[in-house]
Amino acid sequence: MIQVHKLSKAFTVHKKDPGLLGSVRSLFRREQVVKQAVREVSLSIEEGEIVGLIGANGAGKTTLIKMLAGIIVPSAGEATVLGHVPWKRDDRFRQQIALIMGQKAQLWWDLPAADCFLLLKEIYRLPEAQYRETLDYLTEVLGVREQLNIQIRRLSLGERMKMELLAALLHSPRVVFLDEPTIGLDLTAQRAIREFILQYREQHRPAMLVTSHYMEDIQRLCERILIIREGELIYDGSLRQVMEKFATHKRITVHLRPDKPVPELSAELRALGEVLQRDAELVKVEVPRADVPAASAKLLQELPAADLVIDELDIGTVIERILSQRAEVPASELPASEPSAS
Amino acid sequence: MSPRLFLQVLSLEARNRLSYRAEFWLNALVGFGVEFAVVYFLWSSMFRESGKQEIGGFDLQGMVTYYLAVILLGKLVRTQRFEGGVSTDIYEGGLNRYLVFPAGYFPFKYAQHLGGLVPAVVQFLLFALVVAFFLDVPPELRPSPTSALMALAAIAVANLLYYLLDYAIQLVAFWADNVWSLDVAKWFVASLLGGFMVPLSVFPAWLVPWLEALPFRFFFDFPARVLLGQIEPAEWARGLVVALAWCGVLALVGRGVWRRGVEQYAGVGI
Repeated sequence: MIQVHKLSKAFTVHKKDPGLLGSVRSLFRREQVVKQAVREVSLSIEEGEIVGLIGANGAGKTTLIKMLAGIIVPSAGEATVLGHVPWKRDDRFRQQIALIMGQKAQLWWDLPAADCFLLLKEIYRLPEAQYRETLDYLTEVLGVREQLNIQIRRLSLGERMKMELLAALLHSPRVVFLDEPTIGLDLTAQRAIREFILQYREQHRPAMLVTSHYMEDIQRLCERILIIREGELIYDGSLRQVMEKFATHKRITVHLRPDKPVPELSAELRALGEVLQRDAELVKVEVPRADVPAASAKLLQELPAADLVIDELDIGTVIERILSQRAEVPASELPASEPSAS
Repeated sequence: MSPRLFLQVLSLEARNRLSYRAEFWLNALVGFGVEFAVVYFLWSSMFRESGKQEIGGFDLQGMVTYYLAVILLGKLVRTQRFEGGVSTDIYEGGLNRYLVFPAGYFPFKYAQHLGGLVPAVVQFLLFALVVAFFLDVPPELRPSPTSALMALAAIAVANLLYYLLDYAIQLVAFWADNVWSLDVAKWFVASLLGGFMVPLSVFPAWLVPWLEALPFRFFFDFPARVLLGQIEPAEWARGLVVALAWCGVLALVGRGVWRRGVEQYAGVGI
């Protein structure tokens, strides 16, 4: 449903020196800087798939989504969504997609939600019966019937987000772009939105591309993730495989016996890996996977251990390391430049 | 865009704008009262000091009537600034939603603009009643039913022309960090050369052919004179055709600017 081949986007931004002098100078001469927001990204997404797009702020996630939704025109590369080139903005294309941006309200602030929906009914030329049925279903599932006649600007953030979702799905789009749909929401609202998205997927099988800074969203919603770093796609695969490929270390925690003095760690022990914590109660070290048995044995031998626990790094930590460039991306793990066939 | 959607957008915007009661009355009293008081006292003293009986073909009573007409119909011609104008959409990313909708941006904004005029129409009618019953309008300048109907068409075209000029200027926001100064320049030129500040007949005779060749006179001077019965039907029809041709030119300019602008629109944020 979504095919992307070597898509790139560069922005030209004006640089201005700080201070009054810089502002005066910029009146006569402006320095232009080219920022490469997305570099040669290739991917494909199929019907019914929810794909997570992960990256640090400014990594190019939103730019990629905006290109696929047809809002901005790329500098190079190709993409088709439902067989259409998005930035040509054909009505037949726009009729079948939806874009939800958690950071930016799409609905009209001064209008009650019910009026916004009526407007959308006309924009998407929805038949009365279909409109009624979808609206009833969505208001019921999202639990927002009571708020339909309240101005959008007077709703709570969670309620507004539910209305945004409802508005975006009224025309039963086949491709849905969700840019941080749960940002700023409390845990209950986040959970409600996630459950709803999953339920919607079951019934309508759209292709969905989701960005989120909350790992909970990604873990709960997506089987497959794309990791983007400085505009480059550095991983395209299952969430499970991220752990296998990038979680190169494990953590060993030794709980110490309270009745014994705490010994100094020998140089040999310290050489095993990084010591994360060391106090009267426990010693925690991070060691390469392959060294876990040897390191465990050594720790048990040298320390007065009451207990020993071996943990996988949690997914959030692994991804944070990939994004902050602390985890090397093996060349063999880079995504293929050709998207997989649909 | 379907006529049904156009009307719905218009009606929604109208309802929305009418809900701001304080703004409605403030705009009415300040916008009309203050403007009218200023021109009344200014022109009274100009006639008194100069000792002239007539300036630009109007005596004092005629001049005051001209300004009444211009200020009143100006409410229906000038763009009513509101949240979500074209440049704001570009600067704050509100344009994103319209690019995703299967509906044109221009008709959407024009429908919103017309909806935003509804409070101005109500104000226009209120003040027109006040003028008709309480002010002394010279008999030769009193609108007849025919001139009122002709003026209605002239005002509608003036509104479209003004909006198209405004739209093309607002679209510069695709490139410029601020269009406020352009906006001010537009209003200054439009009000000076369009007959809002002074009647065009006050300008020296050699300037008149130039003023007539430009589109600005259709904003205020032309509809005001039509309303006051100073324009014959043939001249009125000719004027409308020329004004509509200007609309076509500005629509083409707007379309070109839009196409280029949207090509390099960044959608705010990366």
